[in-house]
Amino acid sequence: MNTELMIKNLRVSIKDKEILKGVNLTVTPGAIHAIMGPNGSGKSTLAYTLMGHPSYTVTGGEAWYKGQNILELEADDRSKLGLFLAFQYPVAIPGVTVANFLRSAVNAHRAEDGVDPKQSSIPVAQFRKDLREKMAALEIDESFVRRYLNEGFSGGEKKRVEILQMAILKPNMAIMDETDSGLDIDALKVVAQGVNTLFSQQPDMGVLVITHYQRLLNYIKPHFVSVMMDGRIVRDGGPELALELEEKGYDFLREEGFSDAGK
Amino acid sequence: MPVNNTITTFPPLAELTDERIIEVARAAGEPEWLVELRAAAWRHFAENEPPYWRRTDLSKFKAEQVTAPVGIQGTTIQSDAKLAAQGVIFTTLATALRDHEALVKQYLGTAVDPLAHKFTALHAALWQDGAFLYVPKNVAVELPLLAIFTLAEGNHATFPHNLIVVERGASVTFIEEYISRDVDDQSLAAPATEIFVGDNATLRFVTAQTWGKGVYHISSQRARVGRDGSVEWIALNLGARLQHVEAETTLEGNGSRVDWVAATFADDSQSLLTAPLVRHVGTNAESHLDFKTVVDDTGYTTFDGMVKIERSGQGTNSRLEEHALHLSPKARSDSIPGLQIDANDVKAGHASTSGQVDDEQLFYMLSRGIKRDEAVHMIVTGFFEPVLDRVPLEELRERAAAVIASKI
Repeated sequence: MNTELMIKNLRVSIKDKEILKGVNLTVTPGAIHAIMGPNGSGKSTLAYTLMGHPSYTVTGGEAWYKGQNILELEADDRSKLGLFLAFQYPVAIPGVTVANFLRSAVNAHRAEDGVDPKQSSIPVAQFRKDLREKMAALEIDESFVRRYLNEGFSGGEKKRVEILQMAILKPNMAIMDETDSGLDIDALKVVAQGVNTLFSQQPDMGVLVITHYQRLLNYIKPHFVSVMMDGRIVRDGGPELALELEEKGYDFLREEGFSDAGK
Repeated sequence: MPVNNTITTFPPLAELTDERIIEVARAAGEPEWLVELRAAAWRHFAENEPPYWRRTDLSKFKAEQVTAPVGIQGTTIQSDAKLAAQGVIFTTLATALRDHEALVKQYLGTAVDPLAHKFTALHAALWQDGAFLYVPKNVAVELPLLAIFTLAEGNHATFPHNLIVVERGASVTFIEEYISRDVDDQSLAAPATEIFVGDNATLRFVTAQTWGKGVYHISSQRARVGRDGSVEWIALNLGARLQHVEAETTLEGNGSRVDWVAATFADDSQSLLTAPLVRHVGTNAESHLDFKTVVDDTGYTTFDGMVKIERSGQGTNSRLEEHALHLSPKARSDSIPGLQIDANDVKAGHASTSGQVDDEQLFYMLSRGIKRDEAVHMIVTGFFEPVLDRVPLEELRERAAAVIASKI
């Protein structure tokens, strides 16, 4: 089975405005792939589209993963296929505790057609143990298991709980959308450590790290860096590309981009 | 335990007379003051037109066919021997009438006016079932006290009357639960609950309506609260074909308060109306209402909430909230929050929202692998959670959660 995520000429619109104008990108298993780009370049649109947000209309192209064009799947089926999105703005679910939410998600992943959900669901004790260990590693207070998901959480708490969900669900292909936004340096280190731990435990995992700043990449070291501008990937490279961007800003690429477009 | 005599009933309402009501009451050994109250209530019922309720449609209700039971037929009191040692009385209202007549006479009919309208009058004339709870002053009852009301098999009506007296400095939790299977054709449940909370007393009151299909639930409830008294009122409105509940908390004493929450869920073709009224009489009293409503299919709900602050209610602090969640485009919910202020030094506000399941919440849950149906189920359950979480009895919480789950 092909466990690359292969995005071919992806075009996406929101309310008739084209945001992605033909994205080509391959994320390989066992690699951390960073996508950098200025605000409004379409990075988050790419993340949401890959996960299946209903507000984004795919007008062209494909995204292949494990032998399927995932753009044809519902979001829950994409998750079960092994995709995960760490949200930039995690959504509050009032009245649903962190523990209940995560247990439902785990059991949804374990469910199989024709099998009684009671047979396939995770034993409560095993789930609690797993949850407690992963919360400790991410320095999340135990009291959070009983709190309503993301309700009244600080920005840093929300991001930690995103990584907690990722650690519990163990995706094969994780997309992290601006995970560094709103984090102070200490929280950033904890979150990055969480991602690195998971990556070391699952060396076959592919990670797509979407970020505006190079800062996060000091802690989550990418193998590949791609730059997105105006709805397209305009440059591919290694870790050194991130450093070059840090030094020169996006403008030098913009100038190159415009001169390319003129040819 | 339920008292299950051979079921006898009054003749249908169309053939019932005050003579028959007097005869039955005397045969049961009821005191003459009550016999007279019943007869007067019946005459009020017989002589008056039905109330005009714009949002409660009784056009299909066949009042003339209602046959009221004679004797207690659907009351279960979960009492505890230890209560008596504390001086607590928890029994059927009929038993209390026999053993504690003076207490019953002092309170009966002094919170809910028997002559308010045709249905309260019918209730006052015909009540047989019901609970009586008396907590003497400064007594704290730890365990929740539960009274369950059912419709006897083949019966067509029930009129439970609950009388709750919490004396000064006492505290207790009282739960009334109305439960039945679906009934063919129609049944009438017309209960009334009268509550008296003394100075510095605390009552947690849970009222859970999970009648089966076909039941018309037309009820009046009122709590009168003394100085620094406190009521936590938790209402679950889930069952019945039609509900019309008029409920009032009168904050009579200075510094009294009510914290009032409700979960209402109308699906299928249910029509559920709740009309909570808080009357601020005392100074520095507080009220907080938070009502949660879900509608699905062609269900219809009405929230007709009102906070009245009388001239004497200086220093009042009040907040009224109602939130409705629509699961179907054909479902309807009417929200009519009202505020009437006759004092000048008050804080009062209200908020009301109505909307569908949030797409962002749904997408977030789907992105974790949770199926759409289950995600909606979790969102609805979560929406009600702040109300259900307050129900102090796990078995009731589970029964209510099961009813909610079956409706989604």
